[in-house]
Amino acid sequence: MALDGLDLSVPSGVVYGFLGPNGAGKTTTMRLLTGLIHPDGGSIELLGRPFGRRDRRRLFDVGALVESPAFYPYLSGRANLRTLAASGAPTPKHRVEEVLELVGLKERGNDKVSTYSLGMKQRLGIAGALLSDPKLLLLDEPANGLDPAGIVAMRDTLRHLASVGKTVFISSHLLGEVSQLADVVGIIAAGKLVREGPIETLLSGEGQVRVRVAANEIERAVATLAPLGVAARVDGSDDGRPAGPANEIGWLVVPIEPSRAAEVNRALAGAGIYASGLESGSDLESLFLELTSAAPEPSAAGTAPIVPGNWQ
Amino acid sequence: MRLLVSTLGKLRSRLATWLTIGLLILLMALIYLAVGATAKDTATRPNGQAVLLLITFPGAYALILGFVLGLGGLFVMAYAAAIAGSEWTWGTLKTAVARGESRSRYMMTTYLGIALVAGVGMLVAFAVGVLVTFLAAKLAGVSTDGITDTSIFGNLPEQFLRGWYGLVEVGAVGFTVATLARSQLAGVGAGIGIYFAGSFAGLFLPDVVKYLPFAAANSLIAVDSSTAGASGGQTLARLDPNMALLVVGLWLVGSLAVTALFTERAEISG
Repeated sequence: MALDGLDLSVPSGVVYGFLGPNGAGKTTTMRLLTGLIHPDGGSIELLGRPFGRRDRRRLFDVGALVESPAFYPYLSGRANLRTLAASGAPTPKHRVEEVLELVGLKERGNDKVSTYSLGMKQRLGIAGALLSDPKLLLLDEPANGLDPAGIVAMRDTLRHLASVGKTVFISSHLLGEVSQLADVVGIIAAGKLVREGPIETLLSGEGQVRVRVAANEIERAVATLAPLGVAARVDGSDDGRPAGPANEIGWLVVPIEPSRAAEVNRALAGAGIYASGLESGSDLESLFLELTSAAPEPSAAGTAPIVPGNWQ
Repeated sequence: MRLLVSTLGKLRSRLATWLTIGLLILLMALIYLAVGATAKDTATRPNGQAVLLLITFPGAYALILGFVLGLGGLFVMAYAAAIAGSEWTWGTLKTAVARGESRSRYMMTTYLGIALVAGVGMLVAFAVGVLVTFLAAKLAGVSTDGITDTSIFGNLPEQFLRGWYGLVEVGAVGFTVATLARSQLAGVGAGIGIYFAGSFAGLFLPDVVKYLPFAAANSLIAVDSSTAGASGGQTLARLDPNMALLVVGLWLVGSLAVTALFTERAEISG
């Protein structure tokens, strides 16, 4: 079973980052939410209401790019969008030009899709998802194939959409990208939601700086850092004390925002303790790895509600 | 309606559409012109006069239609299979479903588009066939006076409708096979397999094979038995034309029902 009791709360008007390792169930969730597959058991809520086989019209308010973008290779980008506009949600003709402009493909709109690069296809896929001016945008790995400029443009576009009240739900492996873009993240592992919340809230409790100091200075270093309001501990030790000879020179973990790394270093240096190493990696990455490394296997079919509303 | 218009636009832009019609016309032209060019030698052989009936009007009208239905049926089956299969392999069905489009409506509309294209293709191929047959008759020195035989024209609309009905049926079978296999190649392969397996099996099991898609479609149009073998269609076992209407209808409705049901229940990925 791919999902197990997955219950996502997606506030409206935000960018929601849906994270998880390969095989965690991200794409399965996307496919369930777009009616491409149906759950073996349980139920789905979409846009605040139950979503079943007979509720396909609910998708008129949803724009989606699931897995890889799919087009007729022998048609132009513009013709593909026109073709897409003829299915599903009624779409005004001028909308095709608007979304082509939005994703920067207006000039290449008459070229066949078979001549497009991966990044251009991805942009066209995002344009297709935006065709019906949806309330909810579901994008599976939207940065795939985009060059740096394309990623920045996509980020701006998605942020703009959220600012005008659209809900943007993106799944991604790119933690750095999600941390820059998302307001709220949900982390899934083995089909279960293991953490969800506004990104600042999650990271404020998870940030850390690692400092490498000599073993005989660890206790003094811990005491020195205490006035910063943090309880430093030795990496790999449960009680925070050096574990033995292996820690003659060890890493001290300081649970503090990475932006305060210099403050940590300054405090230690002020006490005559000179760090031989200092790290402050991606907090989201640390959190992600911590949460997804020991997730249990799912045991049953699950549910995947997605309910835009105000974040509690 | 917008979906049908869009489907027709897609089919018009697709190379396979023009390739299928062009190939049918090319083969037909080659065969008829070869008959015309070698008529003087052919006429002296046993059954040679029967071969010349291919290019003798007004009987040639029915034979041209028989040819379009026979080889054209195979082409329509492969064409329909290619269209259906590509909806799955390219992921375009997925995109439409994710936009809230009805799965079965999408596939049925796609097939309706194929059926309309097949009808237009049949008319074009028939018109070119008449022209080529006329040229072949001139080459062979066969009289073309029968080309204006008005007694045949009254019957043509019904023959066209029956022919189109047959093409739509074999196309639906190919469309369904490709849908079940979710593959263009499988659909095309199965179509060709059904065509030739039916022809071969017809030698041994004529009473069974006459109910199969191609044989039933070919039976929709009555063809003079003395010349039927030269038309390119399966002629070993034939149903009564009115019985064929029923059998073809069953194949058509059954195929499309399977397609709709399968598409509704399928897990879509890719």
